Amino acid sequence: MKHFNDFSRPEEYISPFDRHFRNVIRKHLEETVMPFRRQYDEDWKDHHLIEPAFDKLMGELGLQKSLFPQEYGGWGLAQSDYIFRMGYMLSEELGRADTGMAVALCVTFWPLLVIMIDPFVNERLIKEFAPMFCNTKKAVFAANAMTEPQGGSDIENLGLLGGKTIRTTARLDGDEWVINGHKLWPTNSGGVAKLFGVPCTTKPGSNDPDDFAFIFVPADLPGVTQGGAYEKAGMAADKNGDIWFEDVRVPSWYRAHGPGDDAKAFYQLISFGQMASCAFLTGAMMNLYERLYEFVSTRTYNNRPLKENDAIAGIIGRIAGDIDICRILGHEAAMIGDRRNKPYGKPLVSEDVVGRIRNIKDFVSDRAVENFGKAMDVLGAYGADRDWDIEKHWRDIKIIQLWMGGKQLCQMEAARYFFNCETL
Amino acid sequence: MGKNLEELFILPRQLVDEETKSVVVLVRQWAEKEILSKRMEYRENYSTLFVEARKKLHLTIGLQWLTLPEEYGGFGWDTHTNAPGITGVLSEIGRADAAIGVLLAMKYALFATIAMTHNLNKKLCGTLSPLYVSDEIKNPVLILPGPGRAGQETPLFLGRSIGAEAKATKGGYTISGTDLRPLSGGSMADLFCVVCAGKKGTPCLAMVPGDAQGIRRGPSIKTTGLNACENAEITFDAVAIPKENVIDRDGVVEELYTWLNLLLGAVSIGAGANFFEILADWSETRVIKGGITLKENPLCASVLADVAEETALAKILLFDLAHLLSRPDHWDSNGRRAFTFSEMIGSRVQQAVMRAINRGLELMGSAGYAKEWHAEKHWRDIKTIQSLLCGVGAEAPVKMDTARFFYNCTEI
Ligand SMILES: Cc1cc2nc3c(=O)[nH]c(=O)nc-3n(C[C@H](O)[C@H](O)[C@H](O)COP(=O)(O)OP(=O)(O)OC[C@H]3O[C@@H](n4cnc5c(N)ncnc54)[C@H](O)[C@@H]3O)c2cc1C
Repeated sequence: MKHFNDFSRPEEYISPFDRHFRNVIRKHLEETVMPFRRQYDEDWKDHHLIEPAFDKLMGELGLQKSLFPQEYGGWGLAQSDYIFRMGYMLSEELGRADTGMAVALCVTFWPLLVIMIDPFVNERLIKEFAPMFCNTKKAVFAANAMTEPQGGSDIENLGLLGGKTIRTTARLDGDEWVINGHKLWPTNSGGVAKLFGVPCTTKPGSNDPDDFAFIFVPADLPGVTQGGAYEKAGMAADKNGDIWFEDVRVPSWYRAHGPGDDAKAFYQLISFGQMASCAFLTGAMMNLYERLYEFVSTRTYNNRPLKENDAIAGIIGRIAGDIDICRILGHEAAMIGDRRNKPYGKPLVSEDVVGRIRNIKDFVSDRAVENFGKAMDVLGAYGADRDWDIEKHWRDIKIIQLWMGGKQLCQMEAARYFFNCETL
Repeated sequence: MGKNLEELFILPRQLVDEETKSVVVLVRQWAEKEILSKRMEYRENYSTLFVEARKKLHLTIGLQWLTLPEEYGGFGWDTHTNAPGITGVLSEIGRADAAIGVLLAMKYALFATIAMTHNLNKKLCGTLSPLYVSDEIKNPVLILPGPGRAGQETPLFLGRSIGAEAKATKGGYTISGTDLRPLSGGSMADLFCVVCAGKKGTPCLAMVPGDAQGIRRGPSIKTTGLNACENAEITFDAVAIPKENVIDRDGVVEELYTWLNLLLGAVSIGAGANFFEILADWSETRVIKGGITLKENPLCASVLADVAEETALAKILLFDLAHLLSRPDHWDSNGRRAFTFSEMIGSRVQQAVMRAINRGLELMGSAGYAKEWHAEKHWRDIKTIQSLLCGVGAEAPVKMDTARFFYNCTEI
């Protein structure tokens, strides 16, 4: 019998970390998350069930410290040359279990990567934040607070708009930045994160990348206020809410890198997020395959298993075929990231990387949305049941198609890249 | 939005008569007053408001009796010619709340098989009258054929397994079946209309009162949408029912499906219309690229056009089906033509509305995903209806039925 592990991924792309650690994480998730995930929707506000699962995964297993250098108690993965592939593997396994958990955990890495990936490394900040994540067995979260009430896409559309729509401001006052603004929707807001990475502007209305700043803000500082979590269609393990910054003061060296480089490092982070999005989706789709396999083998049409009916086989064959292709593409997205330091790679801060990875994410999202919908129809009257897990993934993954600037931004980025569009 | 939905999505005038218009207006007023203007309250207190809103609709406006003959206290919308009217009414309800629409659609589909002038079953209507001539809301729910279990041979209705059996006894019938799945609302059902295998396995309909001896209801099932119609699996342990409660005339199950496709389609186009309104408001007020209204961006405008196209075509197609059903002289004798067209159109309409919502959500970013905007509720509700209507195997069974009709396939 085929197993969900049999979906393709280029063997050459598999990192050493993957070989050793995938099974550990899988087993962990199968024991601590998958048996309970059907109850997560009702736990969206309080996280009574979800929080202990995070403690085990991030604190006890130690995933939250994995990026930090070993000398600070971490595992040193950010400096490895397989950080994207390790991110892919981890995100995929998490996605198979629960994409809401996957995003909450991986977003913790997100702002930290802005200061950890070559060539944009800020040793002082790494040392500053390491104890927060490495010296505890409790889950500690970070958030990347980009989206603002007037729109998230424009902030991500750095290539075209250069940050000119950002309203959150940073003003240097002596040796402190003073932050003011309103963010909403970041993963791990709603009172969860201890540390925010905040894209902001030092000159409102400017599209000069030098005026774009990425500044770290600990969540417990005076002037930081957080709203409660929003109620959403899915992704209960991720809390999202409003954050207000009112004259919040942080040391001047909490800015990630400085004029120009902040924008570049932030650009890298967008590609990491898109790559991880692909992995959440292929992980969820692998679980779709597992659950669908069971249904089509045990339930019948014309008194024969569904999978033995040619017409239905045509539908489920396409679903599995798409998963296979998406997984190859997702691994390619990760490899594009990891090739950055190789002679034949492209820098992360390049249109090649941003355009291609966004393009892959757009493609994989569309296939995932389509295939989950189709799989629910295959289950017919049972398609909408929580008990079959497919509907949960269907609700959860829709937002992956929409976040990070949405589908249309991906299309524009692809058009700009492949057709050299100049005005879009 | 500043535009009237009726002006935007026009229909041939002859489909909607004056009486229909007046009922539709009443329902629209109810929708605005009881639900659309209370969306936020509704979110927080859904179950209570749901019951209140339904009471007004069913009992005060009287939709509980809309399709019953006048002699049974109904409004007398009990002929085929009322198909477009009923479609119009249900789509207004769907615009407000699909769950309320689905419960009513099941009721009307059931009445269409027993209480129309051409098939009026006086004895059965008499027996069931306490269930609908009542000043309480009554919920008949349908149990249709669906997937079978590997290793168990069951009688079939066009490939779908019939899980319940109707056995003739001296005084009537006993109905048996384990873990049967109602379309929706199983926990709250006052009457089960069950597709059963009768003599020699031929499909028939059995009406099983919800309080009959030998019915077991399972725990409530959590589902994607239609959350107010709490569902549960049902087991019938040789439930005794009178003889008249079983209808075994040729084509009766096809008839039930025919109406169900029309009526659930009506609920979905209504929900689709409200989604259209929500999206239109969003696209007129949201600004992107630092200053362009969303709808003025050509790429977004093309997505908006897709949404409008799907919404408009689904409505036209569905009212075409209603028109077809309103003219039985155009069908063949056993209703197979009507059945096939209703399946094709029903399936296409659900897909169109689903596609419209899926595409529209692309433009709404996080707002589309937040409960606050209500767009996601339509998305969940319609997906639930769409999967329900598939029965099993996605569109494959409908394709098989269609191929049988058009190509005389005999082996599929
Ligand atoms: C579960 C979840 C997790 C999230 N996590 C984070 C997070 O970690 N950090 C964070 O900052 N935000 C996060 N978000 C917010 C999310 O990334 C934004 O909602 C998203 O980027 C879209 O922004 P918006 O909702 O403001 O829509 P808008 O920016 O208003 O865009 C609306 C639509 O306009 C269209 N559009 C936008 N720009 C263009 C263009 N240039 N050309 C053509 N069409 C365009 C697209 O269709 C887009 O969907 C999260 C949201 C959710 C629901």
